[in-house]
Parts: sequence; C-alpha cells; structure tokens
Amino acid sequence: MLLLLAACHKDKPEPPVQGQGQTATGHGVYITNEGNFQWGNASVGWYDPATGQATEDLYAVANGTGMGDVCQSMCLHDGKAYIVLNNSAKVTVVDAETFVATATITGFSSPRYFLPVGNGKAYVTEMSGNKVRVVDLNTNTIIGSIACAGVTQELALAAGKVFITNESKLYVYVVDPATDAITDSVAVSRGGGALTSDADGMLWVACTGGGGTPATLYRIDPQTVEVANTVPIPGPRKSPWRLRANGTGDTLYLLNGGVYRLSITDAAFPSAAFIPANGRNLYGLGIDPLNGGIYVADAIDYVQRGKVYQYAANGAEVGDFLAGRIPNGFVFR
Amino acid sequence: MRLPLWVVALGLLAAKGASGQGAPDTVMLHSVVIQAPRLSDFTSGIKMQVLDSSTMAHYRTASLGDLLRGESPVFIKNYGPGSLATASFRGSGAGHTAILWNGFNIGSPMNGQVDLSLVPAGIADQVRVQYGGAGALWGSGAVGGAVQLNDQPVFSRGLTVDAGASLGSFGDNRQQMLAEWSGAKWISSISAYRSAARNNFEYRNLELRGSPLERQQNAEFRQNGLVAATHLRINEGQQLHLHYWYQHNDRQVPATLLQAASTAEQRDASHRATAEWQRNGARANSYVRAGWFDDRLDWHGAATDSAAQNRSRTFIAEAEMRLRISSTQRIDLGVNNTWADAISDGYPNRLHQNRTAAFAAYRIGSRDQRSSAMASVRQEMVGGVPVPFTWTVGGEHAIAKVLSVKANASRLYRIPTFNDLYWVPGGDPGLLPESGYGGELGLHAKAGLSGDWAVHTEVTGFQRLMDNWIIWLPSGVYWSPRNLMNVWSRGVEARGGITWKKRRTTVKLDVMTNYVRSTNERAKSANDASVGKQLIYVPMYSGHGRITVGHGHVQASVGTDYTGYRYTSTDNLDFLPPYWLLNATVSCRIAKGRGYTADLLVQGYNLLGESYQVMLGRPMPLQSFNLGLQVHFNRPLRQPLHQE
Repeated sequence: MLLLLAACHKDKPEPPVQGQGQTATGHGVYITNEGNFQWGNASVGWYDPATGQATEDLYAVANGTGMGDVCQSMCLHDGKAYIVLNNSAKVTVVDAETFVATATITGFSSPRYFLPVGNGKAYVTEMSGNKVRVVDLNTNTIIGSIACAGVTQELALAAGKVFITNESKLYVYVVDPATDAITDSVAVSRGGGALTSDADGMLWVACTGGGGTPATLYRIDPQTVEVANTVPIPGPRKSPWRLRANGTGDTLYLLNGGVYRLSITDAAFPSAAFIPANGRNLYGLGIDPLNGGIYVADAIDYVQRGKVYQYAANGAEVGDFLAGRIPNGFVFR
Repeated sequence: MRLPLWVVALGLLAAKGASGQGAPDTVMLHSVVIQAPRLSDFTSGIKMQVLDSSTMAHYRTASLGDLLRGESPVFIKNYGPGSLATASFRGSGAGHTAILWNGFNIGSPMNGQVDLSLVPAGIADQVRVQYGGAGALWGSGAVGGAVQLNDQPVFSRGLTVDAGASLGSFGDNRQQMLAEWSGAKWISSISAYRSAARNNFEYRNLELRGSPLERQQNAEFRQNGLVAATHLRINEGQQLHLHYWYQHNDRQVPATLLQAASTAEQRDASHRATAEWQRNGARANSYVRAGWFDDRLDWHGAATDSAAQNRSRTFIAEAEMRLRISSTQRIDLGVNNTWADAISDGYPNRLHQNRTAAFAAYRIGSRDQRSSAMASVRQEMVGGVPVPFTWTVGGEHAIAKVLSVKANASRLYRIPTFNDLYWVPGGDPGLLPESGYGGELGLHAKAGLSGDWAVHTEVTGFQRLMDNWIIWLPSGVYWSPRNLMNVWSRGVEARGGITWKKRRTTVKLDVMTNYVRSTNERAKSANDASVGKQLIYVPMYSGHGRITVGHGHVQASVGTDYTGYRYTSTDNLDFLPPYWLLNATVSCRIAKGRGYTADLLVQGYNLLGESYQVMLGRPMPLQSFNLGLQVHFNRPLRQPLHQE
C-alpha cells in the first residue's frame, strides 16, 4: 500500500515567485483582478512597462490580508485608489503608491463603479438596490442616494453633468452633481455599460442591445444631452463592452470577442478585429494614455491566473505577463 | 413460516455481494424480505461498500454527507455545518453521483444534484456505496458511483419503537422517532424527525491579519421530516411496498469570509412517494414500480430582486423481470420511463422532459460459487433522441479462500440538466451528453490469523475518461455551459483492517487511503494552463485511520481524517492547505431489559481545534461535541411464526 502511494504524484504546489513589497511608483498600470464570485480572491496588480516587472497582488503584500470578493473596478483620486469590491459590498481606500489601506466605505448592496464628482463627493453605481450612492470623500461615508431603477454601470463627468449607463434600461441617465438628482436622460439601446469621452468632449456609450433594440455605439453630446451619432454593430457577435479611448481621444477601442478599433469620425463599425481573440477569452482592455499602448487581459477559464498581452499602438505585440484571477480592467498612472 | 428455496439463495447472494465490507451483523434469513434493490444481483465485479447497522448507529441523526465523509472515500464539498454539501466520487463532479432512495434516483432534474446535507443518514436502514460507473444499471449520472439508501423491512417482528435525541455544540439539537408494526402479512411504520442548529460557531478568520476569532453569522438550520412505509404480503407470491417521505428545510446562508454580511435564506421542501409491486414466481420475479417526487427550492437574498423560486416534479415508472434460466444463470429485463418538469425564475417557460430506457442484464455464476460474471446494457432516449448506448461488464473470482479479484469496465454518460440546457441567460439546448469509459481492478483479501486475530484488505485501482464534460464559463456578459473538458480520472483506493477479539473485548484498527488524479486533458482556450492539471476541489490524497476498542456494551474509538491539498485554481497554483482532524466517539449501552435497550453516544469532532476550510472562504468549526441518547423497544408477536 505504501509502495503504491510512494509511486504517486506530488500534490504540494509551488506558488509563483513574485516581487515582494513592490510599490506602484512612476508611470505604470494597475490591473484589477475580479476574482471568483464568493471566493474572496480579488486583487490589484501593478505593471511597470519600463522594467517589465509585474506584481500580482499589491494589497495582500501591503496589508497582509486578502482584499475582498469581486473587484469590479478601481478609481484613482487625490493620491488614493478607491477599490470597488462588489460582493464584499464595500469600497476600500488605499494609498495609491503603497497600497496600505486607509479607510473602508461600507453600506452598499452591490457596488460597481466609482466616480469623484467634485465638492468632496463621489458617486457609486450599484447592481442591485435601484440606486446610485453618494459618498462623502472626507468622511468616507455614504451620505445619500439617487433613486435609479435597474443595474447602473459606468459613470462619466462631462459638461458639469454626470452621465450614468444602465444595463437593464433604455436610457443613459444624467445627474446634476450639485443637487444629486436625475435631471435628464438619453434614449439608447438596452445593455448600456461602457462609457468614455473623446477629443471633442463628446461621450461614447456601448450598448449590447437586446429586447428588440440593436447593438449600437452612441455618441452623445453632453451639452445638448442628445445623441449626436450612432454606429450600429453588425453581427455575428454583438457584445460590445469595455469601450475605451486613447490619450488623445481620437480613437476608440472595445472588446467584441476580439479588440476592435475605430476613429471617432468613422461612420461604420470595422468589419474585422484590430487584434483578433485567437481562441483567447478577452475580458479586460486598457489604453495607455501616454503612448497609446494597448493592454488586453485574457481571463482564460476564470479559475486560473489570467494573462495580459501588451501591444504597441500600431497593434504589434510587445509582450505578455501573468495577472491575478480574472483580470477585468486597467488603470493608468 | 416456510420460504421457497430461491429466496434463501437470493439472500445468500445478497450477503455474498456485501462481503466486500463484511456482512451485516444481524442476518435474519428466517424472515427477511427479499426486496433487493434493482439489479443488485448484477453487480459482479463491482466494488460495493455496505454500511451496516453498527456503523449507521453512529450517524443516526447525521446527514448523508457526514456519513459518506466519515466512512467512504467520497470527498464531500462541504460549505459549512448545515450548508450545501455535494459529492466528488473518484474525482468526478457534483452531478456525477447517483443518489438512489429505494432504487429511485432522487437527483434534481434541474441541476442533477442532491444536497447531501439535506438527506438524513437515518432515512435508510442500510446505505450501500457502489463504486465506479454504473450507467447501465442506474442510468444517467452514475459516473463516479452510486449511493443507495435502502429500507430493509422485516416481517413478523412485532411492535418496534425507536426514539432518539441529541444535543450538540452551537445549538444543535435533533430528535427522531419511529414506530413500526410488523406482522406476518403487513408492516406499517412511521417515523418523524426534526433538527435545528444555530451554527454560531467560532472560527479563526485566516483571511485577516492575526487570524482573529470570529463567530459565524446567519447560518441557522432547521429541518422537519416524516417517512411512512407500508409493506403488504398480498399472498405467497405477491408483495406491495409503499413509501412516502416529506421533508422541509429552512436555513440561512452565511456569507463567505471576505463577503459582506449575508441575510440570505433558502427553503427546500420535498414530497417523495414510491410504490412497488412484486410478484415472485417459480422461474421469474416481476416488479412494477412508480415514484413521484416534488421538490421546491426558494431562495431569498438580501436584495428584493434576488429572490428565486424553483420547483421540479419527477415521475418514474419502471417494470422489470428477473428470470432464472438455470441454477447458475439469471437474466434481468426492464424498461424505465422518467418524466420530469420544472419551473423556475431562471427558465423561459415550464420545462419538461421525457426519458425512456430499456435495460437488460445477464449474470452467470460457477457451481462452486467461486466465480461470477455479468454483463448489462442500457439504451436511453431523451425526448425520443437516443443518448449513448451504455454497457457494463464485470466479473469476480475467488483465487483462494483468502483472496478474490474483481474487475469491471463500463460505458458512462450524463445527460445535460435543465439548467445546462435552458437557463436564461446562458443555457444551451444544443449541449451534448457527457460520455466516457471507466474500469477498475480490485483485490480483496480476508483471513483469520492464528488465534484471535483477523485481517482484511482491499485495494482497487480505477480509470475513467469522460469527454464533453460540461462546464459553465462566462461568455461575454453572462455564463454559459459548454462541452469543453476531457477529464481523465484514475487512482488507487486501499482499505484494510486488523481485528483482535477475545471474549467480550474487541480491538480494531481500520485504515483507508485514497489516491485520486483527475485531470483536464483538453485546453478550454488558447492559454489554458489547466491541461494535465488536477481538477479544483479534488484532493489527490485523503484517508483515515481509526482504532476502536470495545468491551461488552462499551465502545470507544479514536480516529483521524486526512484531506490533502485541494487546488482552487485550474492551473493548480492556488490551493487550500491539507488538514488533519482528530475525532473520538464513545458509545455505551446504559440500560437493557426485556425488549428494550438504551444507548448513549458521545462524539467529539476536530478535537485539536484545527482551523480549516473544505471550500475556499467557508469557515469550519473548531472543536465540537455531540451527545445522543437512543432508546429502542420491541415487543415480538405473541405467537412466533417461525416454527419449522
């Protein structure tokens, strides 16, 4: 019996070597790793393009504990990083360089995205609960909410107004940050999620469609609060998401299986992917505002370390590195 | 009472089939009802573990999950006390173990699973664990193995009353009571049980700095149930068996370690009714069976929009005939029709499915009873579309008095569940059944040594290859199941024991070790680092050792369970550390009189207070204790019928 066991396979894993105590200094990119729902393995990594060094988990190294459950997004503001932990129902505030936690904002039901809106306030969208939360950034507490039925998603500040997409409704909502009230809305397709602004100060929204509405990119004029242009997304695959703009704001990138690229003046959606998926499971996208470098995250099977591919602005592959579990986004600094 | 010879012969065969783990300690051939579970004489070459009444006595108020965890190599994915528990049998998935109650598969048509924390071990008189694939015997889902929960009625036993109660740590209290009248022609029994636990145990939060002691919140559990059975001997050749089982569970669903506090609740309610008519002829036995199951599962999350309601109903009808074509050969022929429907917030409309299967089995034994072989086949149609043709062949041979060998091979399959096919969003009606092949070879040795010593050991090696293994992965915005994996499972199970017995004193040492490799053999996407790696939550190594000392009516045992690394990432880089648990049990007969006994049971779990998690982020208690009292009363029939 013992002989049989001796012939067997070693089961003790060897964890990968990673930089200890590395801080996020200089120009680089944070990688938000969602982690598995209910597994508590969310993390934020850091990649320094100058040295090519990647750190998988800044938070655990700096704080000695896990960060939480499902890292949906992260936002840099005033030297701090606000990490939105969806299934931990909290926003953890850390020093953007050392990643040492300084505060925790609690009281959410299922937070998704975070946006500072001025006057020491920030808005946080929620997947459930039918409201957008108002957070006081001085006390790190929730001080109010804006009723908004449905699954609110990304936010953007433009022309003094806050635009909020809503995945389950047919509108982009407009909030006045002075009064914390919805003042207007823009009719779009269902499945609105990603939101970004371009060189002309216009907003772009990617909608997956559904319920009889088509998959479409919308260009919205924040001054008039009206749709300025639409770019229909042809089949076969119609799941546009992770819409991002480059630093100069003249080019848009999004995931739709592969990475698609279009100019803000294009009338039609490109027929072929700029960077094809090639069997990869692309889940996150980021554009370096300094040089237009493209970062694409492959979540693989969602139950192992993801991989990040780095491309030059012209689409030439530069390199790759390992990320944490389910890399879903990039925040540049 | 006179029994036809063949009944005795069948009884002996059943006892022989049970020899893998020793025959039940009480064999009452004079009045046993031959209600062998379907095809149980057609398991030649298949490894079978019978959990006898002395083992079951320690689990009377425990769940089936606890029983399998403690007594079998089945790995139980336990999310915490009172929470979800599913089985991984020989490296398979949660939907790959068939759970059979009196021969009827009680797996949910919605997800193909049974929550083993909701099935009381005491629901059955006997639990049989059948190892390895038995698709030809039990149909879809019996990939890793099958667990049979069987009633074992005995006629002419008189009036029996059984009552038990237990008190345990964390507000755990359970009661159960059974009353049975067993006459020469009919048996009626009713048993009721309830259990409740606060499960507000303390644990070390290993996710936080300094591993502070925390208390589990929102983990209360309540269960009420009732089982009624009637067995009728219509005449010399005919019997009727009726069963009804109602159960209601109400439990809170705790948060994980890094999740915000939870207020979620889950309610499960089920009605299960079965009937079997049996006719025993000179050359053939005929059976007609029917089962009706109605399961509800309601989920209430924190947010008002996260409530979910599910209900499924299953109707099973089956006819079977066993023919004795000679003294050494038997044939079994049968048809099964399983109709299921389900309604859920996750489904576009009410779903239904009809499955029809025809099965046949053949068994031949040698006249000296040293060898036997069997072959069985099954063809199932789902909604009129044939699924893989399934077969099993097996045989066993006693090489010497002390040594026997078993071997079998089978074709296996699992059809996609309602959730796999129709869940909105994501479900894919085009999914293929999982299918594959499995086989095993086992050696069993048993010997009485000089004087008071006896030893036994059993070593089994198994292999299984499953293709089109279904896995749910996000695809774009939502999750979707796909036939993506090809899983190769193989391993070695070893079990052995040595017993020393002198007069009223017995000392027993039992050891079990399991080695399971279960690896994905096909890349799911371009960068998949999981190829050749162990499936998550399948420990490569596990085992237990136990020393039991008995003297008269007092018995004490100390045992330790080992569970090795469980990977929590498919690239096998993340893991949960191994753990050892030390458990102890003392049982004692505190009173015995004319027709009654009273037994006391004290159990301690995790005595060394190991901080461990079976599943990531789900804490388990440190030390816990349980005190149980069981009273048994029997008044025999005034005129014993056994007078030959």
